[in-house]
Amino acid sequence: MAELMRMEHISKRFGTKLANDDVSLGVNEGEVHTLLGENGAGKSTLMNVLTGLYQPTSGKIFFRGKETKINGPRDAASMGIGMVHQHFMLINAMTALENITLGTKNNPSPRLNRSEDKRKVQELADRYGLEVDLDARVADMSIGMQQRVEILKVLYRGADLLVLDEPTAVLTDVEAEGLFSIMQSLTAEKKAVIFISHKMREVMRVSDRITVLRDGKSVTTLSCAETTSQELADLMIGHRFRESIYEKVTNPGEAVMSLNHVSLYPERKHGGLKDVSLSIHRGEIVGVAGIDGNGQSQLAQVVTGFAQPTSGTVDTPSGKVAIYSPKSFIDAGVADIPEDRNSMGLVGDMSIAENLILKNTDDERFSYGHGAWFKSRHIHEFAEQMREKNDIRCASVDQPVRSLSGGNQQKVILARELESHPSLLVAAYPTRGLDIGATEFVHDAMIRERDAGCAILLISADFDEVLKLSDRIVVLFEGQVMGTYPGKGAPVKEISLAMAGK
Amino acid sequence: MSAITDKKQRESLAMRYERIFSFLAPLVAILISFVIGGIVIACLGKNPVQGYALLFSGSLGNPQKIASSLVSACPLIFTSLAAAFAYKCGVFNLGGEGQFIMGAVASVTVALTSGVEGVPGILLCILAGIIVGAVWAAISAVMKIVRGLNEMITSIMLNYVATLFMSYVYTSVLRDGANPQTPSVPDSLMLYKFPGFRIHAGVIVAVILTILVAYVLDKTSFGFKVRAVGLNPLASRVNGFPVKALIFVSFIISGAIAGMGGSIELLGKQYRLMSGFGSGFGFDGVAVALIAQLSPIGSLFVAIFFGILTTGASSMQVGIAVPTAIVEIIRALIIIFSVSGMAWLRLPKTKQFLAVLAARRDAKPARAEGAMASVAGTTGKEGARA
Repeated sequence: MAELMRMEHISKRFGTKLANDDVSLGVNEGEVHTLLGENGAGKSTLMNVLTGLYQPTSGKIFFRGKETKINGPRDAASMGIGMVHQHFMLINAMTALENITLGTKNNPSPRLNRSEDKRKVQELADRYGLEVDLDARVADMSIGMQQRVEILKVLYRGADLLVLDEPTAVLTDVEAEGLFSIMQSLTAEKKAVIFISHKMREVMRVSDRITVLRDGKSVTTLSCAETTSQELADLMIGHRFRESIYEKVTNPGEAVMSLNHVSLYPERKHGGLKDVSLSIHRGEIVGVAGIDGNGQSQLAQVVTGFAQPTSGTVDTPSGKVAIYSPKSFIDAGVADIPEDRNSMGLVGDMSIAENLILKNTDDERFSYGHGAWFKSRHIHEFAEQMREKNDIRCASVDQPVRSLSGGNQQKVILARELESHPSLLVAAYPTRGLDIGATEFVHDAMIRERDAGCAILLISADFDEVLKLSDRIVVLFEGQVMGTYPGKGAPVKEISLAMAGK
Repeated sequence: MSAITDKKQRESLAMRYERIFSFLAPLVAILISFVIGGIVIACLGKNPVQGYALLFSGSLGNPQKIASSLVSACPLIFTSLAAAFAYKCGVFNLGGEGQFIMGAVASVTVALTSGVEGVPGILLCILAGIIVGAVWAAISAVMKIVRGLNEMITSIMLNYVATLFMSYVYTSVLRDGANPQTPSVPDSLMLYKFPGFRIHAGVIVAVILTILVAYVLDKTSFGFKVRAVGLNPLASRVNGFPVKALIFVSFIISGAIAGMGGSIELLGKQYRLMSGFGSGFGFDGVAVALIAQLSPIGSLFVAIFFGILTTGASSMQVGIAVPTAIVEIIRALIIIFSVSGMAWLRLPKTKQFLAVLAARRDAKPARAEGAMASVAGTTGKEGARA
């Protein structure tokens, strides 16, 4: 098979940091080549070099055997390299056809020739089995169809090498299957796909070859047929990795919080809740599975007191909740790992110590009464204790929390939230963007807390995470509960169907 | 030492650089502004060195002159503190001038009508100023909290209302005979003056208030919440802070500080209301707070510096006929340069540059150690040879 593209000894330096360090990557015609690596391993940097957004500090790029210099995305596109970004670059108010043909013109006349464009795009779509309603506005499309529009956009610009950046992160299992068959039809036409993912299951399923990146270096390239997911995981993190398997709880304690027919913005298809009833018990983890944007954020808002349901009630052991405010929920023992740790969980410009006491500023350990002087020494001691206990890696507890890595930021939040031994912990996307080590840390902490009798509501877009941790699984689709399943021996197939609304 | 701790130390060194540079930015801005101001003075055909010498000798030349500079800084200390306090909580009080004026109007009314004399009278006047300043700010705060109106716009508009209301007071209600101004406040209500100087007790109050505000913001749980809301209102809400209440209270405190400034300016320096009272102090206060990067103590020093410029400007005009407008140009330049300097510091490129600088600084001692080792090595060899 002919080689389509080769990157040789690519290095890219930002300031003092080497984001790519002597990386080499070769992609053949008609293959799916997976780029595997943890966050910060240099995958995105490498792809940005390939699409011309960055110039490499050193190294060469060969395309169809010729050495080339890629000056920008436009250059890359004209050569036949196209990228589908994780966050779509579509204009919501325009139709699919307008988005696809935007910025391209095939005839010299100043008039747009829509019917001709449409015919061409439709032809492409049929050829590769991309099912898209060309006249629909992007805003009205499902995420899966938006992704197909992105792929068509790249194909329409004549791409022979497609880079798909974590394409399945936003898809249901069913939609992901559809994507895989599209990838197959692409490679059948001698086009090449660079697939970026860290979901081992998919990687093993779709790849021809796999290149593992770690700490900015290319570790190795393996043929998919000759490797195992265990080997890949070990290569990815650099040492032997044993994924913990947690015991499932089947006999939890009494209910800590119950939602009865709760609705919030029920008129919205995405981002509302419709008649949701569920209860969370002491000593169990209830996992909420579902594709992003099916009411998960709203559910988290209701159970943390951030939003008041339009109808329905929330019951706790001390009675029906009357006041919906974060403060009253916190006082009732609800802890919260918010979905966006930077904007909701932490005050980035404040120090680690200050963020650790964010919830307890009026606590008598830290200040002389409500709003009064701080006991600075106690705060410092407390922060040092927390740093020790939670392995927060920092130079000093007085450095701003924004200077920490994502994993360490999450540890600060965990330390703060679990310190008070809450009766209910709401964990929304608790490991989003974290590497394997930090993910394990968070998972272990959650299990420990569960075993100590805490009720945990886990909301996650990562289905594997939900399966791994949950004692009970609730599926949300368009704001409705599609079903409740046991965590022990969970019926994976059934759950994925429920996630797709079937 | 492991690579990880090395890296962390470098990070903290970079952060220290960031802090040093953000301290240096206003100083550099002042320097550049003076150079450009000097060029302007030279263009007018005067000697800039002589001009600046007059500027500073006229404002710092002897204790009396220093006292005058402090007195002209006094209202700015209050308005900049007011601006900084609201900014710290993430709201923009551009109505310092209106609150300042309304504070003075309240004070003059109490002073001329209540008949209370001496220290109790002074305290009563200042209290009236504080309350009315707070109420004036509360108008904007309520409109923001309840209806979501932009506090910048409403507070600026209330400045005009306050200015016009004041002119109504000194032309109609409390007019001093034929002159469009109020009568002077009774002698017993004037603030204590240090014998032989123009400086009044209000300056001391301003300094104490600055220290108090700095302490409250930095060392109390209330101040902590105010800062947290200012830096990240969403996280503050998620963590159970009463965000709206804190914004409301901060805005009112900001207004109270400005109103108090108006009272003190009235009782310490002007003694009566007339056209132009308080004009410009509100916005200058905002500028001072910005240059000081919202630090209360920093605001104190910047306000005093501005006071020095104001006082010195007239001696420069008297001395070599350089118009006082030059000093206003310099002041404006300082604002522009220090704000852009701070913006420059926030650029990712600058941060990267600082990180590289820190790394180099880090590498140097290591290289020196290496050199020492190689020297030791050679002497060792020579020793062996010998």
